[in-house]
Amino acid sequence: MKTRRQFHKLVAVTAAGLAAPAIFGSKVFAQDKPIRVGASVSLTGPLASTKNGQIGYELWRDDVNAAGGLLDRKVELVIYDDQSSAANVPAIYSKLVDVDACDVLFSPYGANLSAPVMPFIKQRDLFMIGMFGLAGNDVAKHDKFFHSGPWGPNSGRDWARGFFDLAKAQGVKKIAIINADLEFSKNAAKGGAEVAKEYGMEVVFNQSYPPNTSDFSSMIRNINAGDPEAIFIASYPADSTAIIRGVKEIGISDKVKLFGGAMIGPQYGALLGSLGPELNGLVNSHTFVPEPTMQTPAIKSFFDRYTPIAVKQGVDPLGFYIPPFYYVAGQLAAAAITGSKSVDPAKMAAFLHANAVDTIAGKIAFNEIGDWKERRVLMVQLRGIKGNDLEQFRNPGHQVILDPPSLKTGDLAAPYNKARAS
Amino acid sequence: MKKNSLLFLAGVIIVLALGFLMPWLLRNPFYFFAGYVVLQYVTIATGWNILGGYAGYINFGAAGFFGAGVYLSAFLFTTFGLPLPLCILAAAIVGAILGVLMGYLTLRIQGVYFAIATLGLVVVLETIVHNISGLGGASGMAVYGPRPPAWSPGPSQYNFTVMVVIAVASVALARWVEISWIGRGLRAVRASEDAAECSGVPTLRLKLVACALSGAVLAAAGAPYPFYTSFVEPVTAFSLIIGLNAIAMPLIGGTRTWVGPVIGALLLASVQQIATVTISSELNILFVGAVLIAFVAFAPGGISDLFGRNKGRARP
Repeated sequence: MKTRRQFHKLVAVTAAGLAAPAIFGSKVFAQDKPIRVGASVSLTGPLASTKNGQIGYELWRDDVNAAGGLLDRKVELVIYDDQSSAANVPAIYSKLVDVDACDVLFSPYGANLSAPVMPFIKQRDLFMIGMFGLAGNDVAKHDKFFHSGPWGPNSGRDWARGFFDLAKAQGVKKIAIINADLEFSKNAAKGGAEVAKEYGMEVVFNQSYPPNTSDFSSMIRNINAGDPEAIFIASYPADSTAIIRGVKEIGISDKVKLFGGAMIGPQYGALLGSLGPELNGLVNSHTFVPEPTMQTPAIKSFFDRYTPIAVKQGVDPLGFYIPPFYYVAGQLAAAAITGSKSVDPAKMAAFLHANAVDTIAGKIAFNEIGDWKERRVLMVQLRGIKGNDLEQFRNPGHQVILDPPSLKTGDLAAPYNKARAS
Repeated sequence: MKKNSLLFLAGVIIVLALGFLMPWLLRNPFYFFAGYVVLQYVTIATGWNILGGYAGYINFGAAGFFGAGVYLSAFLFTTFGLPLPLCILAAAIVGAILGVLMGYLTLRIQGVYFAIATLGLVVVLETIVHNISGLGGASGMAVYGPRPPAWSPGPSQYNFTVMVVIAVASVALARWVEISWIGRGLRAVRASEDAAECSGVPTLRLKLVACALSGAVLAAAGAPYPFYTSFVEPVTAFSLIIGLNAIAMPLIGGTRTWVGPVIGALLLASVQQIATVTISSELNILFVGAVLIAFVAFAPGGISDLFGRNKGRARP
């Protein structure tokens, strides 16, 4: 039988044992708890071609975790499929925040899917990295939102300004603008018309066409009748193909010096492979190309790992346009967390506003609404394409950077017909 | 008042009370985001069933009415600052007018031809919106809703409560149609339109009433949507998914009574919401397809009919 003193000791030891996890364990558990990064990706639906971005997220997560995590905590991705529908976005982000307790959010792809989440993050004062939403924060002006895409300030109007800078340098006075009647292309055409006006260019032809248009012969004839010296096209993949093939069939005036601008499609392996040499001469926007001014060991390492995964998953094997910037989004989040030594949205945002961040896409500094301080949208000219082999696009010289001047790797080959024939 | 009506009234009061109290009892906003979508589909399925179920006219144009409600509400709020209840009322009135117009143009054709004509309505309305810059065209339109009233703890909870009220009102309307002379007339139309016409049933007038009521409910379902997403764009507002769900939910639940669409929508929309954040959406769509095929093949009358029949069999 135990004495009263022994009994008291036993009670004290038991109580201390029971209380120990609560006293010491909470800190240990908090450190063990992973940092959760939440995102929605369009795995299905019309924007499913952007799902290769998820590989960028996953490579970043693996790299960070292999290096010991952030603030000694592992990084965990929580990703849901928004089915390319804005209607699904509010519930998904509420789930990410209110149920999954994510510390950092990545936005859905593009402006239309990101728009529903902007009031939500502003009301809740959350930290978010935006994924390719053109002018995504221009309305909300949330101070904890940062773009991973290189659109730059005033992107609604200026993101394709490089095309007009090139046209101006070529002495272009008359320009034609056509666009698909859809969100991105309509904004691009509207911004393009404003920049053309600013540069004193006459817009001789400005027409939008319904989505799913497949025959552009009459439009190309009408453009030719306007006698422009440059043609700015804002199109989606299917129409980009139809326009390129229409030009091959109908022909275009020898006066045209620049052709392209904001065509979605020639950035992706599928279209580069299917159109091949027909793309020669095209001047188009891009975010990354394997030219000497952009190649770094870091981005080369990224693509060395991206390609086998993409091939295995059956997505774009080149992946130049989107995936690197999904990796960049992770790097921005990592810099904000480690720089501020916190997952507090205000501290992370303050760090990114105050510091430039080194990423695989270069050094990035942000303005007050989270745009890159400097626009870094590329205008590239496709050249020397022979056959339909995709591997040639991994080599320099086929997507020559004309703009911005800091990354330039060649001069414009003009007129378009001559460049096309070469 | 009959016993069934009293029970229905009690159910309405309980659901409304829950709609107002839940936001204060349940703190996690996610349930209100998800609940909003489920209730939206309860309203859509109920609205669709007034014409598609009671009268047997398969309407593929539900997304057209829904989108019209979405855009009217967004326009009225951003341009004139109208409060949400007035936006909903305006959407219901315009939906009813649109329903009557569609009815005049299409109700003289039947079966698959009627279905195709209603599908055309969606394309026409979407194209119109695409080309009106005042509605944002293809770029869409940001709608930053007002602060929620003091009786609601937050925007998502307020939208949820509003949708509870709309859903309850829609179900009450559908039940009234079902048990009134309109419902009897519409059932006669569904059984045999020619026989009904010969018996003195004013078939065209009844179908127009059904079109108007159905259109009003579908458009009212769309009115709070801009405040839910804070952004509207034509592709989502006129999405074919809305039209397909509007048909699938009553077919699974049962088209003959007001209960069927409610059960179908609660079941299918809840599964879709859960599947979106658990399993992949491909499996989600596969599940919906499999359930639809199973019901069409084995229980064409839907869940409500299945249980009704079993109950009937059990009786001596």
